[in-house]
Amino acid sequence: MKFKALLTGERKKEEERYRRYFEKYYGVGLVFAALFFWSWRSLKIYPELFLSGIPHFIKLVGEMIPPNWQVLTGGNVAMAVLETLSMAFVGTVFGAILSFFLGIFAAQNVTPAAPVRELCRYIMALERAVPTLIIILLLVVFIGLGPFAGMVAIAIGSVGMLGKLFAEAIEHVDPRPLESLEAAGATRLQLIRYAVLPQVIPSFIANSLYRFDINLRTALFLGIVGGGGIGLNLHVAMSLFRYADALAITVIVLLLIVTAEKFSDYLRKKIIGQEVLS
Amino acid sequence: MFSYFKRYMKSIFWSALLLFLVWGGLIVCRVNTSNLLSNIPRGIKLLRYMLPPDWSALPSMVGPALETVQIAFVGTVIGAALAFALSLPAASNLTPYTALREFARGIMSAERALPDLLIILFFVAIVGLGPFPGVMAVAVSSVGMLGKLFADAIEEVDPRPLEAMETVGATWLQMVRYAVLPQIIPSVIASTLYRFDVNIRMSIFLGVVGAGGIGFNLINSMRLLRYQETMAAIMVVLVLVVACEKTSEFLRSRVLGQEVLK
Repeated sequence: MKFKALLTGERKKEEERYRRYFEKYYGVGLVFAALFFWSWRSLKIYPELFLSGIPHFIKLVGEMIPPNWQVLTGGNVAMAVLETLSMAFVGTVFGAILSFFLGIFAAQNVTPAAPVRELCRYIMALERAVPTLIIILLLVVFIGLGPFAGMVAIAIGSVGMLGKLFAEAIEHVDPRPLESLEAAGATRLQLIRYAVLPQVIPSFIANSLYRFDINLRTALFLGIVGGGGIGLNLHVAMSLFRYADALAITVIVLLLIVTAEKFSDYLRKKIIGQEVLS
Repeated sequence: MFSYFKRYMKSIFWSALLLFLVWGGLIVCRVNTSNLLSNIPRGIKLLRYMLPPDWSALPSMVGPALETVQIAFVGTVIGAALAFALSLPAASNLTPYTALREFARGIMSAERALPDLLIILFFVAIVGLGPFPGVMAVAVSSVGMLGKLFADAIEEVDPRPLEAMETVGATWLQMVRYAVLPQIIPSVIASTLYRFDVNIRMSIFLGVVGAGGIGFNLINSMRLLRYQETMAAIMVVLVLVVACEKTSEFLRSRVLGQEVLK
């Protein structure tokens, strides 16, 4: 503070400013601090818990190393990895197809009917608000346990984001091809096919690839709630205290995630800036 | 005809490949039309068991719902504090040491690569069940994203105040306080509020693996086949998510564009 006052040479003005600033924000700060400490207390977090966690952590690491690689050679884990991957992949593809149509019907420049547009936008906004956990729970009741429920949950869970991004991309296309095709008397389908799709397909594919990365992580979670897959194996190993198995599975999960991410990064780079369907 | 084929050959090839992969995926996930069709009537019947929601279970859910919000709140605050501490050495205009910068950036991107599920399960294994591992998991999982956003915000500040202070011999801390903080605080708060929205969803999930909150009511009532109770829990969760989102949206719109800590 001294430094700044020297800098401006107007210490008094400076102090006045701080006083006003303090008056403006200290109420907010107090409420925030009170909420934080109340939450901290009622969650029963004590600093001792950090300390008591340390020996536990050391014991855990000791039990985890060396990882039990044998667990991977049983056919179970390979199948579970494949299940997780399929859940995420097929779910993303179906989700992308759904959002393709929702996106087109939600874009102002290709769908003139306002009620249809509003309905599609509403569906997408609703989906974004609903946590994936709830979607999978309802689907587990509806379809039953297994990776199929997870797949459908992922498809539905992708619609809100992908559809919104696609609709926005359509609305931001260069309007000139649209106008000239319209002037030449093209049908709506021709308009979409020749004036809109060539401009938006690359970004649509790139977004879907990005969503695949997210969905792979979601698929890990869904395993626990009843979708099957490698997430479930990990959860079971952890809850049975088979930590050496858990570490081996963790390594596989990390490998899966990182490989999928690199791969989708690579594809995304290849697709962006390319002309598809032109 | 042939010209058409030539024109679309690439698209046809990729579509066929996609179709093939989807087909394989469907086989792996054991989807076939016959059990699909037979399952639909059964599914509708089961979904009907969920209605009407069992509102009498509502009072017992207030506590867990509150706990879910508290876990997300405390976890987000701790995570934001950790992320802020990491973002200072990660910003190139505040750290002359490349090695330190790379180290901080490395920690953050490693965390972003880590699936949240691993973080949760490991904290539950280390600290045991209850809200504490949940808070830790939420905090750690926020560090990667928030740290990167904070560091990027710091790197994008107007360099002139920084340079001016450097010439008159300000210390590093003074520079952070007077040249950086006033410019980044609004975006730091806005990013943190956004992360809170993400974390409230994560916090709901935490209950499923035993780390406290409404997620436990959700999954447990389901396991006990008390579907009406599950429906009530679902309603609670929806209200919770929407309320938190609206609140954070409101706060975000208040904070952005404002001058804080000038």
